[in-house]
Amino acid sequence: MFAIEPDQRLSRERDPAAVAALSALAERTRPIAASRTRLLAVAPALVGLLPDGALRRGSTLTVGGPDDDGALSVALALVAAASASGSWCALVGHPGLGAVAARDLGVDLGRLALLPHPGPAWAEATAAVLEGVDLVVLCPPFPPRQAMARRLVARARERRAVLVVVPGRAGWPEAPDLQLRIDDVAWEGAGGGEGHLRRRRMTVTATGRRSAERPTRRRLWLPDPDGAVSLLDAPDRPDAPDRPALSGQPGRAGTGG
Amino acid sequence: MDRLLVVRCPDLLVEDEGGAALRTFAGVLTAVEAYCPWVTPVRPGICSLPVRGPARYFGGEEALVDLVHEAASRVSSAEVGIADGLFAAVLAARQGEVVPAGETCAFLAPLPMGILGQPELAELLDRLGIRTLGEFAALPDADILGRFGADGARGHRVAGGRSGELADLRQPRLARLLAGDDTPDAPVVAEVGFWGGVSDADARAARCLVAAQKLLGPDGVVTAHLQGGRSPAEQSRLVTWTTGSRPGGATPGAGPAGAPWPGRIPPPAPAVVHPDPIRVDLADTRGEAVRVSARGLLTAAPDRLSVEGGPWEPLSGWAGPWPADERWWSRSRRRSARLQAVTAGSAHLLLVERGRWWVEATYG
Repeated sequence: MFAIEPDQRLSRERDPAAVAALSALAERTRPIAASRTRLLAVAPALVGLLPDGALRRGSTLTVGGPDDDGALSVALALVAAASASGSWCALVGHPGLGAVAARDLGVDLGRLALLPHPGPAWAEATAAVLEGVDLVVLCPPFPPRQAMARRLVARARERRAVLVVVPGRAGWPEAPDLQLRIDDVAWEGAGGGEGHLRRRRMTVTATGRRSAERPTRRRLWLPDPDGAVSLLDAPDRPDAPDRPALSGQPGRAGTGG
Repeated sequence: MDRLLVVRCPDLLVEDEGGAALRTFAGVLTAVEAYCPWVTPVRPGICSLPVRGPARYFGGEEALVDLVHEAASRVSSAEVGIADGLFAAVLAARQGEVVPAGETCAFLAPLPMGILGQPELAELLDRLGIRTLGEFAALPDADILGRFGADGARGHRVAGGRSGELADLRQPRLARLLAGDDTPDAPVVAEVGFWGGVSDADARAARCLVAAQKLLGPDGVVTAHLQGGRSPAEQSRLVTWTTGSRPGGATPGAGPAGAPWPGRIPPPAPAVVHPDPIRVDLADTRGEAVRVSARGLLTAAPDRLSVEGGPWEPLSGWAGPWPADERWWSRSRRRSARLQAVTAGSAHLLLVERGRWWVEATYG
């Protein structure tokens, strides 16, 4: 049923432009097809934020905002697809994970190891789990020294794991491969005594390591009324002028320490 | 159900880097093919062939087992057995048995539940006093799917001799790999699960989590399990991680949606549940402390809050209260109420008990 008339068939001799276009397309799709071992999938709403449309193994991300509102939610949203597709994940240094919220975001709780109180051994514990876990979310309980942070970044790269740092008040002295900044956070649903919290709007801006790369920005519902993550609107152009929040002072993530 | 002969080579079950095991296994397949052209590789080190025709030709099942065993043993050490269905036949091979036709059910009955490779199911059934495949098979069909899910139902059919194999038994890539049209540089990953086996990734994760436990103590690595409850803290419990922990999380049947919990806050759930509630003060526009009356109403509309004696933060919204009168029948009765409070960007779930307010969870 897919028979093609011989004269419509693409042949090299006949249509070099089409062949060139096809090979260009093949070139663009090839790394993705071959990359199952190189990338970890993320929820559809977050695909547009990440340069590869997925988490690159061996890379380090920081997630934060001016008040760290929503930073853990964004980190959990990054964990969701990876854990659901069978990757082991770990959350180091966060004492109070809301397991129901994590489940609603799509996290497979059976594949998320929690190290809630690593104490002073947090860096060693993080290094240990980076050995065998695909994705580690780290909330440093104490301000990390630069050498320590650098070692963990190197360990993640060497073990092909993804390190997601939620710096919080402790800060993170190393420049990450990708910085996710959260701004413009607002809850909807709770008025003056009526209704209940329904969903939270936030703007997440992804900035790559090289300054030449344009930041990508997405407005999200996280959580949406179902507790999941969804896009608030059609993707903004990276340089859309309607969101001046970027020009504010840089967040703690990635710069603090 | 097909009657199958299985050849199991214990030395070739695990892939090695250079592919030597796989090449030896290919040699075993060739040797066995002398007796039957329809040899199917199942997974590394295990292959099966239909019994009926060859057994008739070579003078009975026992004779066939001897011949195949001899042929395979010339290449690698091998165990051979016959039973109905692939699952039972692999087990029969391990014991070098020929299970007579129609007796597979009796053969499986005394085996422990763990052999199905579903530790979570085995653990659950163990608590119900069901420890062997026979006891499991005796459970009425109607209850299985609802209580133990699709995997449980599949296991139940296998245990009862009504189905030949479990879903993860065969490794479909193997045939192509053996045929040589798959790149050998991507090693076949030892896949999940037959007889409680673990995948490479699971084993790797287990090793590093054990290392973390050495560092932090056994309770330093936990997983969260969901359960029924009213407050966010009650809805999950932390369980010490062990190498036997099956990735699965929620205990079946104990999901939070299981029962109505009056006074439960509507979703979405808070992302941060404070292990120790944080003291908070709540005031109205005149600076008076806000209370909840005996009828579960607020004495005034809250206007601002102060966490642990910190600066006052104005509320941009609030919702509730949701009164909860827990254990009203007993002495440990707790009267409390919950309130959602939104400050600039943050949202908290507050709890009031005996006139004191606490931050129980944060929608972080």
